[in-house]
Amino acid sequence: MTDLATPPKTYTPTPVRSRFALGNRERNLITKVIAYLVLILGAIVMIVPFFWMVSTSLKDSTSIFILPPEWIPLQPTLKNYEEAWDVAMLPRGFVNSTFIAVTSTIGEVFASMLAGFAFARMRFPGRNALFGILLVTMMIPGVVMLVPSFILFTQLGWVNTWSPLIIPVLFGTPFAVFLSRQYFATLPADLEDAAKVDGANYFQTFLFVFLPLARPIMATLFVLGFIARWNDFIGPLIYLRSTELYPIPLLLARLNSLYEQNWTLLMAGATLALLPILFLFFLLQRYFVESVALTGIKG
Amino acid sequence: MAAPSRGRLNRSETLWGYLFVAAPFLGFMLFGAIPLMGSLILGFTEWDLASEPEFVGMQNWSQALSLHIAALPVEIDEATGEPMYRCGRERVPQSQVGDFTGRIDERTNAPYVCEARYARPGSVLPRGFDEWHQFNLFGQQYIVGAIDPIFWKAMFNTFYLLLAIPISLVIALGFAIAMNQNIVGARLFRTIYYTPVILPIAALALIWLWIFNPTYGLLNYFLGQFGIESSVNWLGNAETVKPALIIMLIWRGLGYQVLIYLAGLQGVPRQLYEAAQIDGANAWQRFRAVTWPSLTPTTFFLVITSMIGTFQIFQEPFIMTEGGPYFESTTMVMVIQQNAFRDVQMGYASAQAWILGFIIIIFTLINFYVSRRWVSYES
Repeated sequence: MTDLATPPKTYTPTPVRSRFALGNRERNLITKVIAYLVLILGAIVMIVPFFWMVSTSLKDSTSIFILPPEWIPLQPTLKNYEEAWDVAMLPRGFVNSTFIAVTSTIGEVFASMLAGFAFARMRFPGRNALFGILLVTMMIPGVVMLVPSFILFTQLGWVNTWSPLIIPVLFGTPFAVFLSRQYFATLPADLEDAAKVDGANYFQTFLFVFLPLARPIMATLFVLGFIARWNDFIGPLIYLRSTELYPIPLLLARLNSLYEQNWTLLMAGATLALLPILFLFFLLQRYFVESVALTGIKG
Repeated sequence: MAAPSRGRLNRSETLWGYLFVAAPFLGFMLFGAIPLMGSLILGFTEWDLASEPEFVGMQNWSQALSLHIAALPVEIDEATGEPMYRCGRERVPQSQVGDFTGRIDERTNAPYVCEARYARPGSVLPRGFDEWHQFNLFGQQYIVGAIDPIFWKAMFNTFYLLLAIPISLVIALGFAIAMNQNIVGARLFRTIYYTPVILPIAALALIWLWIFNPTYGLLNYFLGQFGIESSVNWLGNAETVKPALIIMLIWRGLGYQVLIYLAGLQGVPRQLYEAAQIDGANAWQRFRAVTWPSLTPTTFFLVITSMIGTFQIFQEPFIMTEGGPYFESTTMVMVIQQNAFRDVQMGYASAQAWILGFIIIIFTLINFYVSRRWVSYES
């Protein structure tokens, strides 16, 4: 963002303009102060719910009813965390969520990148038509698929297993194919030739030449897919019956219905559920932000 | 001379190419196209999964969509033939309404309010129709009946929640402009704003459930700090449950919109601002003449994607209100989910899903059409 800085010094050759620039500088200062105030206020609004969550989770169940609320608990306790960890079945949930999200996303990313590579770098009859079909399928709203998918998976005997959540994704998703095609299309034109001279087939070319060059898009796709799968709610809600199979979001909903109004416990559960994703977010922030920029292309 | 080798090469390239794109298309056929066709057919059947599906023609569609609007007459007393009024809890003939004006109702300790009494909805609605909504136009009371009033309520609620979009876009644009002022720590702000976007909604819904708590919730506490004593049961009142959900939706989605707007702002040509400045345009004029026009594609993209998301809202009301009170926060996806997976009416749920699907597809088509026009405008 620094490249967008105003270059006032090189921009003030005449007296008229310099008067202008001076006024601008003062005005810029006011603008900046207002901008900071707005942003800080907004940031407070964004953070306070999380702060409130953590604060509540550290209190015992009577001190949450003290008004005005204690923002920083006077006698913090970890008791709620111990309880939530067990009654919400969170350890189990983390294993389940991680397994579902990681396996499905690895398959999704690989299959989608392979197809994206073919669409961007290879010539075969009907290529553009097939790509067009793929774009059209992106338009199908997910809600239309709820009922028919359920019927299909019931007939396949997949209900109350993770298969409906993992297997369809392994084939690749239109959006991921689209994003990887766009990325591969930007790579230099003569990359294939060297591989061809070495006698590599197309799969080897993809695997050893293009895939290593496509790490940024790979990371972005992985982040996008992982978050979508980890946060999925309606899929697990429809297909899973046994609580041992539940991923984290479903376990939180279950915790809420079992311990309604038990705010300290619920907030401890929510905090625990958010921590790994938050950790991942701060670690891989760059790819999260890039993924947003990419989804912006979609329109 | 090179033709044969090229031909061989192409054949192998074609084969490999088809192989590489096979997976997404196979997946789409198996888990997309075939079920999709099936669901369209299913919309014309009645099926509880246990017995055989039964073809019922348009019944599901008319059950979901049928509306009947009728004028609701004032209730006439059968004995006297006089129009009846309601004053407080009393049922009063028109001639005696004068006696009540100005008198204090002992039940409420407030002066009596007299209103016309209307006939029972059942007397004007056809069989099978129930009341969805009443309204008054030029002094005449009307009633809207539907075969499935809950579906219409859900449709109304879902469209109501779309109100979140213009509000949050205005706020997001403000934050994006502020963030674009060459700010130190812009990255930190960006991260903070974006955080709720990537977190599981289930957890966020629990937090907001607690914030909206009538007695100990943060929202009422804050309102109290600003001198507004409030004990509003945000999620328990017909009037406040949708605004409350909108507040949460805005908070959750803001970061995404800020980020997209920021990208849009950084694409606005710098020279345009400089030209406007030299012309003596003030900040508002620069916004109107430069920023806003340059951002129209971004705004349009955000409007449509947010609409597609909002039309399919399910989790927040499912966890926070279960659709209540009195179906005031039931959304279309909730109705579909209940019909399909609780009441096992697969045919009816399919028809409803397609109705929602058509609404969404229409908006998506508008998006594709208009964004294409925008791209060609710029080049």
